[in-house]
Amino acid sequence: MTLEEAYSKLQGDYGKVMKLLRNPALVKKFALKFIDDESFELLEKSLNEKKYTEAFRAAHTLKGVCLNLCFDKLYLSAAEMTEDLRPGIPTDKTEEIFNRLKDDYLITVSALKELSEEL
Amino acid sequence: MMKYNNPKPKLLIVDDSPINRSLLSDILGEEYETIEAENGEEAIAILEKLGVEISLVFLDICMPKIDGFGVLEVMKEKRWSEDIPVIIISSDDSGEHIEQAYDMGVVDFIRRPFDAAIVKKRAINTIMLYSKQRLLASMVTDQIYEKEKNSNMLINILSHIVEFRNGESGLHIIHVKTFTEILLRKLVSMTDKYKISDEDISIISTASALHDIGKISIPDAILNKPGRFTDEEFNVMKTHSKAGAEILEQLTLYKDEPLVRVAYEICRWHHERFDGKGYPDGLVGDEIPISAQVVAMADVYDALTSERCYKKAFNHEKAIEMILNGECGEFNPILKECLKSSADTIRNEIYHAKTMNSCESVKIEIPTEILKIDELSSSKRLMFMYNYESEKNKFFSDFCDDIFFEYHLDPSILKLSACGAARLGLSETIVNPFEEPTLINKIMTAENTKKELREYSVNEETITEHKCNILLDEKIKTVKIVSKKLYSFSDKPVYIGVIGKIIEI
Repeated sequence: MTLEEAYSKLQGDYGKVMKLLRNPALVKKFALKFIDDESFELLEKSLNEKKYTEAFRAAHTLKGVCLNLCFDKLYLSAAEMTEDLRPGIPTDKTEEIFNRLKDDYLITVSALKELSEEL
Repeated sequence: MMKYNNPKPKLLIVDDSPINRSLLSDILGEEYETIEAENGEEAIAILEKLGVEISLVFLDICMPKIDGFGVLEVMKEKRWSEDIPVIIISSDDSGEHIEQAYDMGVVDFIRRPFDAAIVKKRAINTIMLYSKQRLLASMVTDQIYEKEKNSNMLINILSHIVEFRNGESGLHIIHVKTFTEILLRKLVSMTDKYKISDEDISIISTASALHDIGKISIPDAILNKPGRFTDEEFNVMKTHSKAGAEILEQLTLYKDEPLVRVAYEICRWHHERFDGKGYPDGLVGDEIPISAQVVAMADVYDALTSERCYKKAFNHEKAIEMILNGECGEFNPILKECLKSSADTIRNEIYHAKTMNSCESVKIEIPTEILKIDELSSSKRLMFMYNYESEKNKFFSDFCDDIFFEYHLDPSILKLSACGAARLGLSETIVNPFEEPTLINKIMTAENTKKELREYSVNEETITEHKCNILLDEKIKTVKIVSKKLYSFSDKPVYIGVIGKIIEI
């Protein structure tokens, strides 16, 4: 699988990230680093422990990383999660948004893992 | 200490996401040495340690422990933000954050996702802007200083020529100038009737030096006549005020300059009196420009307190009393008030002016904007770091039993740790140690120690050890002296001293 195919699988914007960072090796290096990024785990853990301020920060960080890497689909759900958690208390939508985010996260990571295994 | 072998500017990248940090490091790593911090607390610690060695900070806002705003607050409080530019990298779109950050001294904003080329450009532009600004500030300050110094010097030379002809020392104009400035400052603090700005004060006191230039037109025989003038001679003498004004009026180039206009007022009217009994025009009250009123009082004060061929010098108190009593003509009641309340300052300052070289009294009014970005804050910080290090050093050496020494070549000073000094029976600081017989007897029993302290040269090993006998705890003991030579951090290192430790064996 090529980097472009992985981007298409995780519904990111390959054209845009190439335009911004200019260097395919750099994009690939950082896209693969995302597999080990801990902000999603921190988000999940904080939500389970009802630490909403931490959860907000984790969602915010995740959003920032996705923005930089142009992981558009995951970015949108992370952004939604961030806004939902910004007041510091959960809403009736929190769980629903998190589940959608988790699906997107898993798709993203599996696409990236496929890419890395082919290396 | 500054090292020159690594010319890459240092960047501090503060972000809680490792991916985001290393992405920036990768983009900027070629041109810069990047240092990473994962939260505000770490960032502050790094800034504390490296200070202005950091050329630029990339700062994320949303972070655990201390967030981006917290970092900005500390940077502002410690005045780092004046020297170290900050660029915010943000994924928030809310304008509120952006405004708040700009208010806190942030230079620029970069939004995620960022364009690698733009990040590089912004980094370079910001660093250039800041270093250019610093350079410009010091250039402007230097130029203002030079310009001000030169024009003050020219004015002083000119007035000195006049006084020289008059057989006076040149101190008169300095005294008049000092008096004028003090009185004007007092006047401004007491009333805003005369609408005098800081700049006016500076112009009036500079122009005061020219008050007697008209004396150039007075014949030598009268000007330098020993003893009192006849009425006729006095009438000639009195023409100097109008003559000075005319000289200035005939200047084609500069006659509309504020300095020349003020000098005109002063020349022409510094012998007018508030009750209209002065000359040449018999102006009354505030018809006399305030500049001339103040210089008139200053002129009288200095004449009274100086010795003249026809009179002795009165002391300060007597002179003030005579002016207040109207013995030298009537003055503006407000100015008399000013004189009363600044009498002490005048005495101190004029005494000070007497002991000081006139050229050194150049005062420069630097615009506050420039002061803010001046190197001052960095040198203060350096001073602080220096004091901090010496304090630390002193604390540690005071609390250990070891004998440490530190020798400084120029000026020649030997410092010993507290315990070392006690055990050697010497004082902690010894100036010109080689001329100190007790020291030579105690430490320098080994013939060559003295020579070594003085004559280390760059080619030798920097750390040396040798054994010798010294008088320690009142007994002759064999010790090992381990020492390290110190060199200046300049292009051509020069030997500047030695530090070391004396160990019993």
